[in-house]
Amino acid sequence: MRKTILLSSLAVLVSAAGICWAAGMATVDQRGLAFSISKLVVKKGDIVTFTNNDNTSHNILVSGNGVSLNSGLQKPGVAFKAPFIKPGIYQVNCGIHPKMKMSIVVE
Amino acid sequence: MNRVFSSLRRGQLLFAMGASFAVGICGLSIAQAQSHGNSSASTIAVMLADFRRPLNIPAPEDNPITPAKASLGKALFFDPRLSGSGAIACATCHNPALGWQDGMARGVGHHGGVLSRHTPTILNIAWSEPLFWDGRAATLEEQAKGPLSAPAEMNMPLDRAVEILRANRGYRAGFAAAFPGEPITIDTMVKAIATYQRTVISGVAPFDRWVNGEAGALPEAAKRGFVTFETKAGCAACHSGWRFTDDGFHDTGLPGDDMGRAKIMPGLPILEHAFKTPTLRNVADRAPYMHDGSLPTLEAVINHYDHGYIDRPSLSPEVRRPKLTVQEKADLVAFMQSLSSHDRNVTLPNLPR
Repeated sequence: MRKTILLSSLAVLVSAAGICWAAGMATVDQRGLAFSISKLVVKKGDIVTFTNNDNTSHNILVSGNGVSLNSGLQKPGVAFKAPFIKPGIYQVNCGIHPKMKMSIVVE
Repeated sequence: MNRVFSSLRRGQLLFAMGASFAVGICGLSIAQAQSHGNSSASTIAVMLADFRRPLNIPAPEDNPITPAKASLGKALFFDPRLSGSGAIACATCHNPALGWQDGMARGVGHHGGVLSRHTPTILNIAWSEPLFWDGRAATLEEQAKGPLSAPAEMNMPLDRAVEILRANRGYRAGFAAAFPGEPITIDTMVKAIATYQRTVISGVAPFDRWVNGEAGALPEAAKRGFVTFETKAGCAACHSGWRFTDDGFHDTGLPGDDMGRAKIMPGLPILEHAFKTPTLRNVADRAPYMHDGSLPTLEAVINHYDHGYIDRPSLSPEVRRPKLTVQEKADLVAFMQSLSSHDRNVTLPNLPR
């Protein structure tokens, strides 16, 4: 059974913004020390789930538009869910494995 | 609306294709390995599929590899005149006769000063970005500027290095051939050095021959060691792929106050005392080991990961106590010895005058 990390601070942000962010979901696999997609386009309020399908731990970092998110240690099998509230371009990478990079465009 | 961007199906397909290919060409070696390990032939085939050597050397778009650039870069790499003392070249520490390292626990720089970390090899560095033990350089070109100009290392201001090169007729010709129509600058200097470094690649080792289907390329102990490396010992969690590195940063539980990657990327506790995973290619010929050069032998490294590390909050979750047997440790050493390619001697360049 997969564990899920959902940053409480994000939930607060979402709640404060009064946005219904359950409108869309997207999933990104982490496998072979890479994200499954280099650029992802989502709608404002969508939740992106990053699933660690590697046999090593990761640490997702999201940055852009004044937002800085840190999943903390993401062990194998653990999913990290991040809602994207503000339109713009976000960079996503792994703090442990710098070659793992992708971008997310929020429309 | 539910949009799922998953590469699972594509990944599964590639995985299956890789496994099939490996089974097809490695049938004999897998049968041999099967009788000496705890893993099935199909499992070993899947493992081996991750270790195929690449066909091309990566290079940035604005600095493609050319013979003229590599030749110029080689001269620069071996030229001690590019140091403040006139006595230290890149190759002084990255000595091809010593596995492109220096054989010492910690590097020695300007006026004999001992540096704070072990000299890493430049073998296969074309694939190894970001560079340095703490990953502070994103590219090889950026990395080349560091040791040249660092007061504790080569102690050569980069502008002064360019002046020296511009005053040298041989270098002027070399740069003209490598960078037609461009002046000699810091940028072209480090591009040439980086290009040469990208050509420093470990040759085919017995392990590669085994991956390619030559059953007799490895002793049985090394085959068992490979399975232990991939499974019980957990080494492959970080030492993955054909270079045996994830190019990631991990706290391996060594003592000391060097914060490593955390100084470059503060705010992530897991990066405290974390250093870049080194390649294991030719590792048996590159003692001593670790970022501080504190472990003199492969046996000492295995014992460190087996029970010798410091358990602290930043310790990598991949470091675990595998409780290896004496036989398993010996097998791991045999496996790592199979990664040595015993490359041809490197010829020294005649330095431009």
